[in-house]
Amino acid sequence: MKSKHLWALLLGASVPGVSANAQQASEHTAGSSATAAASSKTAATVAKAVVVPDSVRTADMQPLRFETSWGSADIIRGADGPVLGTVGWFRGFDVEKLVESSPHAVSEARRFQTDNFRGSLVSTIGAATVGIGILVAGSNANNASTPIIIIAGAGAVGWGLQHINNGYTALSKALWWYNRDQSH
Amino acid sequence: MSVQSLFIPYLAMSLAIMTSTALVEAQERTYDEAALRLESDLSGIRIVRGISDSVVLTAGMVKRSDVTRLVASSPNAVTQAKIFEANYRQGIWTGIAGLAVWAAVYGINHIGTNQPVTAPTTFVSIALVVYGTIRVDTAKRALSKAVWWYNRDLKV
Repeated sequence: MKSKHLWALLLGASVPGVSANAQQASEHTAGSSATAAASSKTAATVAKAVVVPDSVRTADMQPLRFETSWGSADIIRGADGPVLGTVGWFRGFDVEKLVESSPHAVSEARRFQTDNFRGSLVSTIGAATVGIGILVAGSNANNASTPIIIIAGAGAVGWGLQHINNGYTALSKALWWYNRDQSH
Repeated sequence: MSVQSLFIPYLAMSLAIMTSTALVEAQERTYDEAALRLESDLSGIRIVRGISDSVVLTAGMVKRSDVTRLVASSPNAVTQAKIFEANYRQGIWTGIAGLAVWAAVYGINHIGTNQPVTAPTTFVSIALVVYGTIRVDTAKRALSKAVWWYNRDLKV
């Protein structure tokens, strides 16, 4: 009989926590609260189980970030953590899969992959055109078409870079959302 | 065991759960409102805050951007922000100087007799552009770390 009272009270104690935290993050938190409440019977233990200090987080829980370098970007976990993959310039790392636990992040990752491919393709063609223009300008076969080739190439590079930048903006958002949803 | 003796642990437990729930909600609100991220376009880098996408700082090639002040609440972020500030604009201007040298020589050589741009000029231009790009990359890596540390320290 006494144990029934105890379980009823424990169940009742978990209700305010669930109702107060009815948003997206609630499932995980309330779930761990209920588990902690059932397994330990002290309030201090419950609080400790719910709010995990950053210092005790495992490496897998560290937030993601990316660093760009020469048109590519390394996706890194933590401040100096491991490089999980490299994206950009026709690199095929699957960002969507990496952030699949966050729906917002997935849609931004898709945008990144589309923009990045377009930008990489057009800017590569543009850079090749500029290169040809410079070679022609540096040779004795220099003629009036050289500036047109260089300007057209530079225009393509600019258009491509703009799309690559849009892609990295989407990647930044994807990781932002992923980190947000991971921390809840 | 009486009902009264169970009531005190019940109250303590409820209080603890409500406190922890409030902590999680406060953490969520802090991240949503204050966490930074980076956006870039051809004119420079923008630092955007929170879920509302408000631009809090623009780092361009002309105006000096005070990233250090923005991330002042996190010591690690400040260290990285200083590296960013020491390299970003200098790198951009070095790259622009490289392009300008080549364009100027090309223009001068096409006044009057048509002369090709010499190999040393092209080499110097490429060297300046590469050096500038290396410094911009160093700056961007530092900025990425600065934002990461700032967001991390928001949650502590």
